[in-house]
Amino acid sequence: LPRKQPTVLVVCGPAQNGAIGLVCARHLRVFDYEPTIFYPKRSPDPLYRDFTTQCEKMDIPFLSYLPTEVQLINDAYNAVVDAVLGAEAEVGEGREPCAAILATLKHIRIPIVSLDVPSGWDVESGSSGGISPDVLVSLAAPKECARRFLGRQHFVAGRFLPYDVQKKFELNPPEYPGTECVVAL
Amino acid sequence: QEEAQAIDQELFTEYKFSVDQLMELAGLSCATAIAKAYPPSSFTTSQPAVLVVCGPGNNGGDGLVCARHLKMFGYQPTVYYPKRPSKPLFEGLTTQCEKMDIPFLAEFPTEPAFIDELYGVVVDAIFGFSFKGAVREPFGSILSTLERVTVPIASIDIPSGWDVEKGKADGLQPDMLISLTAPKKAAMHFAGRYHFLGGRFVPPALQEKYALNLPAYPGTDCVLQLT
Repeated sequence: LPRKQPTVLVVCGPAQNGAIGLVCARHLRVFDYEPTIFYPKRSPDPLYRDFTTQCEKMDIPFLSYLPTEVQLINDAYNAVVDAVLGAEAEVGEGREPCAAILATLKHIRIPIVSLDVPSGWDVESGSSGGISPDVLVSLAAPKECARRFLGRQHFVAGRFLPYDVQKKFELNPPEYPGTECVVAL
Repeated sequence: QEEAQAIDQELFTEYKFSVDQLMELAGLSCATAIAKAYPPSSFTTSQPAVLVVCGPGNNGGDGLVCARHLKMFGYQPTVYYPKRPSKPLFEGLTTQCEKMDIPFLAEFPTEPAFIDELYGVVVDAIFGFSFKGAVREPFGSILSTLERVTVPIASIDIPSGWDVEKGKADGLQPDMLISLTAPKKAAMHFAGRYHFLGGRFVPPALQEKYALNLPAYPGTDCVLQLT
């Protein structure tokens, strides 16, 4: 990592994708990274509120605002985890604060890791001038828009899918190495 | 034992972890450790068959999660789960196993030789760190059969039947112990080949508060081999 400290900014949206980001941040902390979370619109779901507590109690700082000055983000963090919008989001919602966050993320220079769907992309047809993540982690199985992914690494995290679900949806996942829960495609 | 219970309590009440979350991470650690110590290629049985014996409490729940992950890692687990709590957590875990075609035995094999022939490893998920007092049936008979089994036994957290602090010289002698969160005092009496640490979820602040002095886990692994 280019910065002295293994800092990572985790940007969490208001729904499930954001909650997954919270869990990710907690594990990054266990893995000795220094995550910081930006979670402007918090879900009322009790499970997701508990995820927030777990992060807070693990001394993961929560930013009160996202700098619009992109250089500040580039300087402070090594990478950004995009956990803003997932496959459930509708295109062109343009609702704050997601739209503003995405506008900022479009201009950052440090790598972005998107969870499941690059936020702001249409889940099927992909992006038109949206963010360009460096790494995509497809959850369960790659979404249609993953075909348009042009970044460096595409992982799938779907080892938990029972065999009959895989068959039913004709997922044909690759072999996972050893006991790993992700595989690079 | 009290410290282990205190840590658990803090994780649930202060940190707001759910039992589901920690049980999933614990069970995954167990399966991962077993896969490292007994890879499928090391089995002499024609399939990498594993018997998972689940007790009536959380240790049994850890076993159910472990069985499910073992299946995903390419093993052929079979579960024996005689006393099932009627709580959604355990019912859900059981359903997940059933729907993944993991068979549940109706009866426990009566002879150790039957177990030795059919399975390459037995996972002991009967009693955990909350165990106190006398062993109730059917677990007494199960443990006496397991004590005479020759295939390796991997115990989750505490070898079942052992006193959580003092151990049990004439009890189960597992080949592998997977200590969850931190090793319990009984682990000092463990004489098997493999001791792994699992349950990589203890926040640094808790580790400090209870002076756990846990060694570092390698990379992003969820288990650490201690011996």
